[in-house]
Amino acid sequence: MAAVEIQNVSKAFGKTEIIRQVSVDVPDGAFVVLVGPSGCGKSTLLRMIAGLEDIDSGVIRIGGRAINDVEPKNRDIAMVFQNYALYPHLSIAENMGFSLRLAGRSKAEIMERVAETARILGLSQYLARYPRQLSGGQRQRVAMGRAIVRNPQVFLFDEPLSNLDAKLRVQMRAELKELHARLKTTTVYVTHDQIEAMTLADRIVVMRDGVVEQVGAPLELYDRPANTFVASFIGSPAMNFLEGSLSRENGAAVFVSAGGTRFPVTAGDAAKAGDVAVTYGIRPEHLVLAPDGEGTEAEIAALEPTGSETHVVARTGGDRLMAVLRERITARAGDTLSLSPSPGAGHLFETASGRRIGA
Amino acid sequence: MLRRKRWRFAMLAILPTLAIFAWVRIYPIAETLRLSVHKWDILSKNKPFIGLANFRELFSDRLFIEALTNTAIIAFGVLLITIPLSLVLAALIHHRARSRLAGFYETAIFIPHVVSLVPAAMAWKWIFDAKLGPLNNLLGWFGVAPKAWLFDPVLAVVCVIVLCSWQALGYAVLIYLVGFKSLPVSLYEAAKLDGATGPQSFRLISVPMLKPITLYVSVVTLVSGFNVYAQAFVLASDAQGAPGRQVRVLVLDMLENSFRNYRVGYAASEAVVLLLIVLLLTLMQFSFLREKGGRT
Repeated sequence: MAAVEIQNVSKAFGKTEIIRQVSVDVPDGAFVVLVGPSGCGKSTLLRMIAGLEDIDSGVIRIGGRAINDVEPKNRDIAMVFQNYALYPHLSIAENMGFSLRLAGRSKAEIMERVAETARILGLSQYLARYPRQLSGGQRQRVAMGRAIVRNPQVFLFDEPLSNLDAKLRVQMRAELKELHARLKTTTVYVTHDQIEAMTLADRIVVMRDGVVEQVGAPLELYDRPANTFVASFIGSPAMNFLEGSLSRENGAAVFVSAGGTRFPVTAGDAAKAGDVAVTYGIRPEHLVLAPDGEGTEAEIAALEPTGSETHVVARTGGDRLMAVLRERITARAGDTLSLSPSPGAGHLFETASGRRIGA
Repeated sequence: MLRRKRWRFAMLAILPTLAIFAWVRIYPIAETLRLSVHKWDILSKNKPFIGLANFRELFSDRLFIEALTNTAIIAFGVLLITIPLSLVLAALIHHRARSRLAGFYETAIFIPHVVSLVPAAMAWKWIFDAKLGPLNNLLGWFGVAPKAWLFDPVLAVVCVIVLCSWQALGYAVLIYLVGFKSLPVSLYEAAKLDGATGPQSFRLISVPMLKPITLYVSVVTLVSGFNVYAQAFVLASDAQGAPGRQVRVLVLDMLENSFRNYRVGYAASEAVVLLLIVLLLTLMQFSFLREKGGRT
């Protein structure tokens, strides 16, 4: 196992800058997820760690050793590809033992290590088969087995679950987490799926347009997003944003949106904001039903019951709000209900820069 | 009712093509099969049925055996040179696909396949020429004594093999290039991370993955190798007034028997033997390469 340090790394394809001065620390044994919309540079960064892309500037270190000019095979990493990249003409055992065979290990050792890895992954009965004879989930496991069998210092995963159906994805996610708990190998994992990032990661790195927007523990990102991009990217359904300004009413700080919606704001946040234009963010799950006359009156535009909760799309003044309510709602579209934010759940951002204001 | 109507329409629609196909493809084959068991001198009206007499005579015919041997040596020689060489060349070109010269490489290798055969063969005849040819000149620099390439019975066959391979290479490389382009890049990346060098990736990934392409290219190369004629005719036949000894090949032998010796039935039996050999070899190649390649 080893730590991975990425320092001021940049990469351009022609004139297009894909990665701009990115620095990320992956502590020894950590599970770090790079997440962001497609085209944000997360896969390129992973491929740079793997050695499949050159590093234009900056340094990447694995276990303290700069690996910019080290051949991929000598970096002591293993990678799982999105499409698994299994060798179709080799059996599962041959696929898993390929790297050991190239390293010149004895047949007995290869067989032993492949068998042991297959046992961990529940693949023992498939060793003689070929990739095309396995299901998506099994192929995924073989791809992981091929990585594990080498006992590398770092695992790299490039969107490994995106080719699986929803149910299998949840199952494989749990297996991955279990595997990491058992092997404790440093892992860098790329995904565009924020749920995957939240559930798997010790630390999440949110990227956009080749820049790191925020690094932190999953709940830290959820509770204290550094800017509107991270706030909208983490959490599902996405956070509501209302643009407006702060004012004082009856001695208390209040946010007033352009559409006329009013939400209370803490005195500390209001003091930090000064009198700039602000964006108020509130997560759908932090809007709750309020007794009539106390919250904000909103007209229901649509109701989406999921069984465990109800998603409500509501209009208030010129604003549109999404709320996730635990209660079962008897009201229908067109009716009004009263919503208010849970105390202290609102986030304030500078409208111009999108940066977070206050704690 | 509707289905029958549509079926009739479909049949009528493909009938013209089928008719032409039957006329230019099936009829000649059937006619060759028929002639091979008859005796005919092109001119006379009666073609007496003689059973397998033509075939029995073939196998004691010294010239036929010589032609068959030469043809087989040439066909397998071309196969042995073309397949590995085109595979390696295609890999190199594919590897340099982003180079500015990529188009030049592909064109340079494909041109021999499209140039007119006779002028190209004439050029090679000059290259192989014992006195004026640049080949002997080149070898002279390395201290190799000049050789009578087109006069020596063994070397003349080698010359025909070289010419045929030079021609076959362009097509084989083109097909292999298409094969290389269809292989997923991630396999090579995975192999790279697994510790494979370039040559190891080629040997352990490309070659086995391209087996279906190898099957196709080898069948096409072998079949055209067995049909070798013009190359031998221009390079090494007395008709061109040159070398003392000709490289006798099957098609040449057939033409001689048909139009010089007026033994069309006998020539047809040679054609049938050629057909059987080619069919048999194709079947063998299919079973040999399918067995392992079928897994992909």
